[in-house]
Amino acid sequence: MSLKCLDVSFSYGVREVLSEITFEVDQGLFCALLGRNGSGKTTLLYCLNGLLKPTDGCIKVEGLDVCRANRKAVARKISLVPQEHIEIFPFSVLDVVVMGRTAYLGFAQRPGKADYDAAHEILDLLKASDLANRSFNQISGGERQIALLARALLQSSSTLLLDEPTNHLDFKNQYVFLHRIKDFCTKRGTRVIAAMHDPNLARFFADRIVMIKDGRVLNAGPTSEVMTEANVSRLYETETRQFDLSLGKQIFLPELVCSEEETNGQPK
Amino acid sequence: MSGTAFSYRSLTKTRSYRLMIILAVLLVLMFILSLRIGRVSISMSELGRIVSSWVFSNPTDPQLTGKEMVFTLVRLPRCLLAVLLGMGLSVSGAVYQGLFRNPLVSPDILGVSAGATFGAALGLLLPGSSFAMIQVLAFVFGLTAVCMALAIARVVAVRPVLVLVLAGLVVLSIFNSSITLLKYLSDPYNELPAIVFWIMGSISRAEWKDIYTAVPLICGGLLFVFLLRYKLNVLSLGDLQTKSIGLNPSIYRFLFISVSSVMVAVSVSTCGQICWVGLVIPHIARTLVGPNHEIMIPVTALIGGLFLLLADTVARTLTMAELPISVVTAFSGAPIFAYLLYRNRGSGWT
Repeated sequence: MSLKCLDVSFSYGVREVLSEITFEVDQGLFCALLGRNGSGKTTLLYCLNGLLKPTDGCIKVEGLDVCRANRKAVARKISLVPQEHIEIFPFSVLDVVVMGRTAYLGFAQRPGKADYDAAHEILDLLKASDLANRSFNQISGGERQIALLARALLQSSSTLLLDEPTNHLDFKNQYVFLHRIKDFCTKRGTRVIAAMHDPNLARFFADRIVMIKDGRVLNAGPTSEVMTEANVSRLYETETRQFDLSLGKQIFLPELVCSEEETNGQPK
Repeated sequence: MSGTAFSYRSLTKTRSYRLMIILAVLLVLMFILSLRIGRVSISMSELGRIVSSWVFSNPTDPQLTGKEMVFTLVRLPRCLLAVLLGMGLSVSGAVYQGLFRNPLVSPDILGVSAGATFGAALGLLLPGSSFAMIQVLAFVFGLTAVCMALAIARVVAVRPVLVLVLAGLVVLSIFNSSITLLKYLSDPYNELPAIVFWIMGSISRAEWKDIYTAVPLICGGLLFVFLLRYKLNVLSLGDLQTKSIGLNPSIYRFLFISVSSVMVAVSVSTCGQICWVGLVIPHIARTLVGPNHEIMIPVTALIGGLFLLLADTVARTLTMAELPISVVTAFSGAPIFAYLLYRNRGSGWT
C-alpha cells in the first residue's frame, strides 16, 4: 500500500510551479519534502490531498485517485496540519479535535459519544488530554500544533501531511513534536509527508527525502543516500559542509558560518 | 484525566439544557403577558375564556366580543410574528457570523435588507399596487440582491469569503442609492412619508395572512439550520481547513446563505427593517453558552424570539403612539452590544 505521485505538474495560470513530480511513499514511512522558499513544497502538499487540482499527472493513495474522488473520500485517507493559524471562534480544543470526524458524518449528523471518545483517546495518546477543555485561541503555538495534529490523526490513519510543522515551535518543541509524530505514526503505520525547512531536522527524523528545486524533483530516495554534501549544496544553492556526529548522524552547516568559526568570531 | 474532562463536558451540557428550558419558559410567559397588555388590556380570566371559546368554537360572552376581536385579529398574529421574526433574524445572523468567520457580520451584509427595502419602495411608488404586491416585490428584490452578490463572487472566484463581503458591499450601495433615487423622485406629501415609515419597520401590520406565509418559510429555514448546525462549526474554520477535513465549503455556504436570506427577506418584506437583532442576539448566545453551534443555535433562536417579542411589546405600550420597533431594538441592543464588547475583551475575538 503506497502513495504514488506520478508526473504531477501544476501551474497558476501560465506560471508553472510544479513540473513532472514523481515519487512514492510506502505505508508507515516519514517522508520530508525539502526545498527553498517558493520551490513548490506547499503547492505539492495541496495537490496531494486534492485542495489543488494538478494540471497534469495523477496521485493515487492506496488505490484512490485523489484528483477524481470527492472531498469526503479524500479526507478519510489524507489529513493535513496546515501551516498558518487562523483565528477562529474560541472553540474548546476538544471541539476542534472532534472536527476530525467530519468526513465520517452524514448530511445532518453531529458527532456522537463514540466520536468524542475517539477524540479523547487521541489526545491521551499525544499526552495532551489536559488541553481538552481549554480554549483553542488561548493556548500556546506548540499546544495548537498538538491539537491540530490530534485532529488530523483522528481524521485519517493512512496519510498525514504536515506543512512546515515546526515553524512556530521553540527549540525543544521542534524535536519533541517531530519525535512524537514519528513515534506515533511508525507504530500505527501512518505515512507522513512533511514540507520542512531545516535539512538537519529532516536528516534526523525522515526515512525518505524528496528534494524539490524550481518545481522539479532534484533527488528522491532514502535519507542516507540523498542527504549528501553535494546534494544539499545544490538544493540550497550555497556551499554546505557536513559534520559527522558520534551517533552515526550528520549535521549540515553552510560554509559561510564554518569559515567564520575558524577565525574564532574575531572580525578579520 | 478523560474522566474529569467528560464530567466537565456533561456539566456544561446540563447547564446549557437548563438555560434552554429557562428561556423557553420565559418565552411562554412573555407571550402570555404580551397577549394581555396593550391599548385594550385583557385579564388572565378573560384570556382564558377567549381561548377556550376559540378552541372549542363556542360562542363567546357578548361582553367579550370586542376583546376577542382584538385578541384574534390583532394581538395573536402580532405576537406570533414577533417571535418568528426574532428567531429567523437572530439565527440568520448566527449563520452569517459563522460563515464569514466574523462576529461583527449581520445578515444585511449581502444586501438582502437593502434589496427588500428597494422592492418595497418601488411597490409604494407604482400606481395601483396593493399591500400584497409591495410585500412580493420586497421579497423578490431581497433575494435578487443576494443572488447578485453571489454571482459577482462566483465570477471573481478567488478568496471566496472576502470577495463575498466586497460583492455584498457593491450590491448594498447600488440598492441604497436606488432607494435614495426613489425617495427623491417620490411625491413628498404622500409617497415619501410612506417609504420612510415603511423603512422604519413595525410589526403592527401583522395579519393572519402574514403568518401563513412566514410560518412555512421561517420554520423551514430554522429547521434546516437546526439540523445542519454542526456544519457551521466546520465552516467557521475557513475554506482550506473545511476542505481538508472533508466538507465542500462552497455547497454548504450556498445552502446556508440561501436559507438565511429567505428568512431575512420574509422578515423585511412583512415588517420592514428591524436593526440589531441579527447582530446582537448571536453575541449574547455566544457569551452565554460558547461558540459551539450545536448549542448556540437553539439558544440564539430562543433569545431572538424573546427579545423581539419584548421589544414589540415595549414599542406598542411605552407611549400612546406606536414606536418604530427598530428604535426599541437599537436603543436596547446597542448598549448590550457595547457591554458584551467590554465583557469579552479577553477571549481573543472581539
